[in-house]
Amino acid sequence: MDKQLLGYKGIKPVFAVMLLLTVLQGVSILMMAKGLAEAVSALFAGAPLSGQTGRIAMFLGAFLIRHGLGLLQQKIGSAFADRTAADVRGRVLRKLFRLGPRFARTEGTGHLVTLALEGTEKFRKYLELILPRMAGMSIIPWLILAYVFFRDITSGVILLVSMPILIAFMILIGLAARKQAEKQMDTFRVLSNHFVDSLRGLETLKLLGQSREHGASVAKVSDRYRTATMRTLRVAFLSSFALDFFTMLSVAVVAVGLGLRLVNGQLELVTALTVLILAPEYFLPVRQVGTDFHATQDGKEAGAVMQSILDRPEGEPADSDGAPGPGADWRWSPFSRLTLSGVTVQHQAEAYGSAPETVGAERGREAGADRPADGRIDGAGQEQGQGQNPQSPQNPRSLDDASFEVQGMPTIGIIGASGAGKSTLIDVLGGFLAPDAGEICLNGTPVGSLAGEAWRSQITYIPQHPYLFSCSLLDNIRFYSPEASREEAQQAVEAAGLAGLVRSLPRGLDEPIGEGGRQLSGGQAQRVALARAFLSDRPIILLDEPTAHLDIETEYELKQTMLRLFRGKLVFLATHRLHWMPDMDRVLVMDQGRIVEEGTHSGLLGKGGAYDALIRSQMEGVR
Amino acid sequence: MRKEGWIVPYIRAHWGRCLLIIGLGSLALLFAAGLMFTSGLLISKSALRPENILMVYVPIVLVRTFGIGRAVLFYAERLAGHDTVLRIVSSMRERLYRILEPQALWIQSRFRAGDVLGVLSADIEHLQDVYLRTVFPGASALVMYAAAAAAVGRWDLRFALVLALYMFILVGILPWLSLMMTKAKTKLAKTQKAGMYRQLTDAVLGMGDWVISGREAQFLAAYEAKAGESARTDAKLRAWVRFRQLAAQCVVGLILLTVLVWAAGMHADGKLPAVLIAAFVLVVFPVTDALLPVSEAVEHLPRYRDSLRRLSDLEGEECSMNGHGKGQVSGNQAAAMAGGAVHIRVERAGFRYEGDSSWTLRDISLDIPQGKKVAIIGRSGAGKSTLLKLLEGALTPSEGEVTLNGVPAAAIGEHMPHIVSVLNQNPHLFDTSVANNIRLGSQDAGEEDIVRAARQVKLDRLIESLPDRYHTRMHETGQRFSGGERQRIALARIWLRNNPVVLLDEPTVGLDPRTENELIRILLDSLQGKSLIWVTHHLAGAEHMDEIVFMEDGRIVMRGSHAELMENEPRYRSLYQLDRPEALLIKAN
Repeated sequence: MDKQLLGYKGIKPVFAVMLLLTVLQGVSILMMAKGLAEAVSALFAGAPLSGQTGRIAMFLGAFLIRHGLGLLQQKIGSAFADRTAADVRGRVLRKLFRLGPRFARTEGTGHLVTLALEGTEKFRKYLELILPRMAGMSIIPWLILAYVFFRDITSGVILLVSMPILIAFMILIGLAARKQAEKQMDTFRVLSNHFVDSLRGLETLKLLGQSREHGASVAKVSDRYRTATMRTLRVAFLSSFALDFFTMLSVAVVAVGLGLRLVNGQLELVTALTVLILAPEYFLPVRQVGTDFHATQDGKEAGAVMQSILDRPEGEPADSDGAPGPGADWRWSPFSRLTLSGVTVQHQAEAYGSAPETVGAERGREAGADRPADGRIDGAGQEQGQGQNPQSPQNPRSLDDASFEVQGMPTIGIIGASGAGKSTLIDVLGGFLAPDAGEICLNGTPVGSLAGEAWRSQITYIPQHPYLFSCSLLDNIRFYSPEASREEAQQAVEAAGLAGLVRSLPRGLDEPIGEGGRQLSGGQAQRVALARAFLSDRPIILLDEPTAHLDIETEYELKQTMLRLFRGKLVFLATHRLHWMPDMDRVLVMDQGRIVEEGTHSGLLGKGGAYDALIRSQMEGVR
Repeated sequence: MRKEGWIVPYIRAHWGRCLLIIGLGSLALLFAAGLMFTSGLLISKSALRPENILMVYVPIVLVRTFGIGRAVLFYAERLAGHDTVLRIVSSMRERLYRILEPQALWIQSRFRAGDVLGVLSADIEHLQDVYLRTVFPGASALVMYAAAAAAVGRWDLRFALVLALYMFILVGILPWLSLMMTKAKTKLAKTQKAGMYRQLTDAVLGMGDWVISGREAQFLAAYEAKAGESARTDAKLRAWVRFRQLAAQCVVGLILLTVLVWAAGMHADGKLPAVLIAAFVLVVFPVTDALLPVSEAVEHLPRYRDSLRRLSDLEGEECSMNGHGKGQVSGNQAAAMAGGAVHIRVERAGFRYEGDSSWTLRDISLDIPQGKKVAIIGRSGAGKSTLLKLLEGALTPSEGEVTLNGVPAAAIGEHMPHIVSVLNQNPHLFDTSVANNIRLGSQDAGEEDIVRAARQVKLDRLIESLPDRYHTRMHETGQRFSGGERQRIALARIWLRNNPVVLLDEPTVGLDPRTENELIRILLDSLQGKSLIWVTHHLAGAEHMDEIVFMEDGRIVMRGSHAELMENEPRYRSLYQLDRPEALLIKAN
């Protein structure tokens, strides 16, 4: 039994009602058997049909009541499952938002979406099934057994003995099957993934001129997969075979025993018939548990995964309440001050952390584009990757003792090689990550983290791959300020250099974009993000490597637009593209999580420090 | 081309096995019925207190046989069913692969959104259920239906007809009704689920935006509303199922009553021995149990429709795109080209899609003798990819010519991979060993060749440090290899392949400058003497190119060597300053 189960709200009264209904159901099964057996044996003895109306009516009544109660039970269980699953899903979603985008990246988007959708579905199914099954198992067999004992002790003994044998065999076979499956797991994974792997690699195969030959291997591997699967299934199906076999055997033994005792005159026909009708009913609850075993197991696991998300420590105080900080009407002004002193963030293994060279290129990719279809395999692969990454920086701190103070509206460039901690710093500034040590002060008042509402309402965040929501271009631009008018959005479009694109779209600003809509290029997506920033006109802008992936001409043009946007704003721009630095008021040079140098571009140039080293390291290579 | 279905042909191809499965399945159902029937018969006969136990010997044996036999038959049926279905899946997979194979080069552009390939593969898995949950159990139940009606027919033909009618409610009317009732709702539920999926993906991928814009509460409320709607649809479907089940049970009760009355009447008329009354009544339970699942089997049908539609859509378009079609060039000619020097000429080539009025590419001329290195730069949509497709021979120019040693590129067809290698943005690493991944470059490469290729791309040290060295599986290393390393493995393939021409399609996107420079150096070193046509977004390595070509709106707007462009083009100079740190130094000095 699942201890968690009793913790769900309102489960106790539901279960109590369920038990009561099950008792009534059990009684109606007994009445049904009794009525039918008596009617049939009376007919057998030569009584006329007309005399049996009462018994037949009892049987039919009991039969209908039994199934009616079943319907009622399902209905109650279903409603409870709906309620509880919706509640858990809501809590998980709220928790996800509190854990923030960083957590979502680590866990994998596809995994989380699947969990929230299919996981809830499975969990709901589990809740729906488990209560009636538990109630059924704990009442019906014993009620029937007691009645059979009361009518015929020998049959009662047969039924009583066969139940533990049946369950023992099921468990034993189940264990054997699992062992066998585990032994073959690796082979299985390779074989079952082979097809998707082949499809995804089709272009590569084609370019290497081997796609045609590979077709034969698709069929061959598929066949090997079948052989391996059948080997496992032969054992796995044994468990339901045992269930079937012992049920049927037990019914057969009861029937033969009844027959023999009838021959010897130790028994009445009516008793024998009653027992014979009840015998399959005795096994029915166990059989249902067996049939639903996998569904309940899946649902239970999904529930456990969701619970583990809910139990996760948040690491950052819940939004501004509790954390001292500026009030909601506070606004960053030229006189405001932000101070970071000794801010440190411990290194967290990330899904893409194992590839320090890719500069977050994985971020914002479509859900699961590069992942195996099966969510579970996906998760396992990531866990593995985290543990055995030989290239992870020796430094366990992704941000180490960062201290600086900003006042007013300067533009600040954060530069460094990949893995130097630029993104971590941006995440801290965006409030996505709470520092493990150190202090952050706003206007001299310490705040635990920057997750507070007041700070967040001041910032715009532009990542490398801005996410385009699946709605109209207009709504995408108005994302930060949904109340903005069409005219204002149009102005933002002009400012962000999107006017040409809007003119070329058949439906203009109302053109649907994002998944399922029109695809925009990387540069256009970046301009949508800029339009958002122009429109919301928030005083602080955070940018994380906004142009590195774009072609040089687009980058050049975007840079001009961005510099216009930056005017009169506090800007933090993290990048490895050195060309930004001359345009920044201040440069923070990062290396291995530390801020190693600070100054202006021209001030740092030629000093022979970290900044110069960075320039040199980018120059070598193609030489 | 004639469209073939995705279900019927497989039943036809495996008809023997399918018959076996349905036979086993119906036999299992008959045995369950037999168990109850003979049990009833046995105790009735015994109740007559026969003198000799041998009088009931036959029913005793039958009871045991049916009891044990049913479990065995059912087990055999499940195994046979899964075996056959996996065979069918195997041939479906091969078929899907053969459909997609010719369009391989277009998959990227056609299936841009989401993980369509994963979905297609899941569709095939999904179709397993058509057989396992609908076809096989449905057919077995129908056999049972016929057998039950026929059995009663031996006693009383008229009553058999009545009974068949009643049972038809279970196997015909209710399933049909169920299908009609749930079709629209199932579809609605699916649309709602898809909507939720999209919304949730939006939420998770755009979480930063939701959080910072302070709109998360708004999202949660909107999502809860959607989820509530979807839950209501589901609840309605489930309510129908519950109602249907109760209705079916009422029919079962009616059948029981009818059988009881009939048996009593027959007995009273002396047409039916008393011992059969109990047998007939008891057998109603297993027989109706066998018929009840038909409704559920039929209800599943609408769920397969999307999978089927996606698969058959795919086949409809099969011929509209072709990759390396049948070339007119013989293998010998191609082999000669692969071994020697290849001179690529693009002469005033243009391209536009059929029925499209605007040109994707216009007036492109390139002259690339063996060993020349050309960089192609331009923003997305400038026509770079189309130009590459022309060079690969995957597209035929609408005007002008693209030739390799005078042979039109499109005519080389399937031999192209022996002449031109391609390194693109996301080369696929297969879930097999590192060595096998490199060996894809040339199937007859020995161990030594592979080690040499790894050394060429400077991966030898890293690979030697892996637990199984060259035999380490990619799955275990996939997480370890960074973007740059993955590219280098793909480069090792190309080095092994040793084709005279290499097309590079933005292989360094997403790499940091250091890694990018490293990869470029390895590229240039290992591909010496090859013709390089390099689509790039940065100017890193531009100095090493013989010609740099800027494209815009399908035309070449600027071209020349690095030195020439620096000298003559202010635009090039400003771009170069943006890209190269050297420029920063110069500016400061």
